[in-house]
Amino acid sequence: MLKYILKRVLIFIPTLIIVSFLTFVISTNAPGDPVETMLNKNQGGEGQAAQKLATEKAYNDLKHQLGLDLPIFYFAFTNTTTSDTAYKITKGSHRATLERIAYTYGNWGDVAKYYKALQNFESDLYRQPKEAKTAEAITRIKDYAQQLYDNYEESKIKHVFSEINFIFDSNPSLIVLNGAYNAVKSGFENCVHNQRLTNRYIPTIHFYGTNNQYHNWLTNFLTGNFGISYQDKRPVSSVIWDALPNTMYLSLISIFLAYIIALPIGVRSSINKGRIRERATTTGLFILYSLPNFWIATMMVVFLCGGDYLSWFPAPGAEPIPDDAPLWYTISETIYRSILPLFCWTYASLAFISRQMRGGMLNVLGQDYIRTARAKGLNEKEVIWKHAFKNSLLPVITLFASIFPAAIAGSFVIESVFAIPGMGSLTLKALFARDYPIIFTTMMFTAVLTMVGNLVADILYAFVDPRISFSSKK
Amino acid sequence: MSLFSFIKNPFKKRDTAIEIAHAHYDQSFWANVKKEFRKNKLAVFSLRFILFLTFIAITADFIANEKPFACGYKGNTYFPILKSYAVDIGIAKWPEDLKNAEWKDLQYDWSLFPLIPYLPKNIDGNNSQSVSPFETQNVKSTRWRHWLGTDELGHDVLAAMIHGTRIALLVGVISMFIASFIGIILGSLAGYFGDTRLKVSRASIISFSLFGVLGMFWAYGSRTYILRDALAQSFPSFIFQFLVSTCIFLAILMFARLLAYPFKSINYLRQKISIPLDIIISRLFEVMLSIPTLILIISVSAIVQEPNIFIVMVVIGLTSWTGIARFIRAELLRVRSLEYIESANALGFSEFRIIFRHAIPNALSPVLIAIAFGIASAILIESTLSFLGIGVPAETLTWGSLLSLARQTPTAWWLAIFPGFAIFITVTIFNLAGEGLTDALDPRNRK
Repeated sequence: MLKYILKRVLIFIPTLIIVSFLTFVISTNAPGDPVETMLNKNQGGEGQAAQKLATEKAYNDLKHQLGLDLPIFYFAFTNTTTSDTAYKITKGSHRATLERIAYTYGNWGDVAKYYKALQNFESDLYRQPKEAKTAEAITRIKDYAQQLYDNYEESKIKHVFSEINFIFDSNPSLIVLNGAYNAVKSGFENCVHNQRLTNRYIPTIHFYGTNNQYHNWLTNFLTGNFGISYQDKRPVSSVIWDALPNTMYLSLISIFLAYIIALPIGVRSSINKGRIRERATTTGLFILYSLPNFWIATMMVVFLCGGDYLSWFPAPGAEPIPDDAPLWYTISETIYRSILPLFCWTYASLAFISRQMRGGMLNVLGQDYIRTARAKGLNEKEVIWKHAFKNSLLPVITLFASIFPAAIAGSFVIESVFAIPGMGSLTLKALFARDYPIIFTTMMFTAVLTMVGNLVADILYAFVDPRISFSSKK
Repeated sequence: MSLFSFIKNPFKKRDTAIEIAHAHYDQSFWANVKKEFRKNKLAVFSLRFILFLTFIAITADFIANEKPFACGYKGNTYFPILKSYAVDIGIAKWPEDLKNAEWKDLQYDWSLFPLIPYLPKNIDGNNSQSVSPFETQNVKSTRWRHWLGTDELGHDVLAAMIHGTRIALLVGVISMFIASFIGIILGSLAGYFGDTRLKVSRASIISFSLFGVLGMFWAYGSRTYILRDALAQSFPSFIFQFLVSTCIFLAILMFARLLAYPFKSINYLRQKISIPLDIIISRLFEVMLSIPTLILIISVSAIVQEPNIFIVMVVIGLTSWTGIARFIRAELLRVRSLEYIESANALGFSEFRIIFRHAIPNALSPVLIAIAFGIASAILIESTLSFLGIGVPAETLTWGSLLSLARQTPTAWWLAIFPGFAIFITVTIFNLAGEGLTDALDPRNRK
């Protein structure tokens, strides 16, 4: 038995790695630059050299602090158009543009020179003394220089060049910038001229070692450091810690209720199979099972919670109960408020579990040993509860694995309809605010919970059914 | 008696003499299933209802549309709905005066409008602010009435529901198509080969693993930007580019197969080792089951710039194939030891021919059950997502997004009841069909 559990736990590890991998791949592809989101600053064309340097420094510092200036994975398997040091370009958008240009022309060296020239040109622009007659022209050139960072198509870059040329022609006093500008232009022309398209199809592998983003992310996750929320810059763990109790409270009660009610219903409906009352129960359970819970929840909010119709229950999003309220008030108010969410959360799993229980029971009741038990004169109660019930629990136990993820999936709908500040509404809010650390932590969390559920189900299985032997037999 | 003793032996199928002899008392597997299914009235009803929904989904443009079926306008006769299809394909053009026409307000000589003269995107400014179905509506005549009311902006709810049928069924069908494709292939490989039956020479293993990686690189890695641009452009063009990539990949694998051939003359490389396919694929099941579908879709739609219904379909399909794969694996474990497979082996048919021509067709029936339930749950997931406002573009009205409008205007009971009821009925019907199939395919129900 112990050996079996150990083996199951060992399988757990590769699964966890694959899931973490998936989560990480999705998270690195998230659009937008997290550092810019956190700095909440757009680097426009305005501002002087010192100010620009300060913002750049703040940007680089934060990037370093978040560990985003490291290579992404242990190794990279790419074509030869990019370089193994491309990750060192701090700005994600710049890097994407450069890699695209490098892919188009197949020569990273020239593209890197072009980038360098462009940066020089930009810092020259910022170093220009502020004069009334050239200020406007410089601002416009700065805008165009920004466009160069974001464009990879030859036609668009050429267009930007011609626009800058035009500004230079009409402002002869800007002649000092000509050198740097020509370097940019020739840099790009070199890229086009020295095309080496075969590089696209030559694979290379770069190794980076363990100091990479994935490694750090995974070790941080395992040690409980989930990152920082972009919205309010609090650690994700504390944000989740605030939301978790609400979800846990409702979901645990609903799981408990579902099992407590569903098992007897399932057993009873299987014993009296074919009678009208039991057929009504079965049909009712089937309908309950198919009723989408977000529909029922919406109907309840519309028709029972204030609004224009009945107001039997408090409207969603009611004020939290004050801390100094008397105990009985807190308790009664909490129960009063959780009746509807609990109902919506419970009924579907209740129907599902009792249908499974019924199926399992029917299966067992047709077996020979039940006939034997009846034949030897045991009364019906003993036959059902002592002989049949335990053996028909198997399918219900398997369900245990899917209960946790189902609870979290349910929390999205129920919490958002009833405005309960739990995990579901937290994740939804994070989704609309593009607050990725929270989303991906929830995803990892649910996956881990599911895996734990699977593990627990397997182990329970072994306890309930002695026929299942886990010694390695092929 | 086992369920599959009814299965027709594929070799018998060709034997027409026997067929004719048996024609009088048709005991074929599917005939039995049909007979059992027909006994279940609810299941038959649900199947008919599915056909009805499919009909609505296909003809949605003809049931609810802003354009008339046919009309006379300035002396010419038009068939605007049919013409709009032609314009969409690109083989016809609208005349100048009809290009951006407000179809409702045109002065027709005569016109024949569909049953509901609205499209989901039409905004009826005279009836905005959620008009109830029973209220007096500000419309020209009863012909233009909003039978199920309108929403906040003035969209016709009935039109949105009719076109929502199309989205719901499309989600169910496409995602299950993807799921069954993956599930059937992986499940049958795991079931048929098990852990010991797939024996491959060392030369092939080396060649395939080397060119597998290189093939991925050349087919997908080097074409990343092409694929990405295609996705940004439109979903069909992405599918096309993806298929091109896959063809390149398969071509490279063919090349790898040829390349391994000469090396097989070396004794060491010729030796065959068995690949534990079943273990590998079963581990994959476990990983897939650990991934919470809803949260995965939420995360994926978080990183997609523009919400797209096709992405939801693909993700549902990619995560829900395990049920189908399990069914088919169990079936093939059983089928592979039947005599007819052995005889096919003895005749020297290739493994893949045996799997796809002989083994899988006899193992498909339980997959139908999984597909019926799968469609129900895919529709449920999609409507949950659009209810939460995820993954579906804001301007597309689906059943779920209509229902979510009821939260913003709690007085609009018609927004709470009708779309929710449509979701409920559709999900129930597919579940009922699945139940009916389960019973019909269950050998215990047979005498």
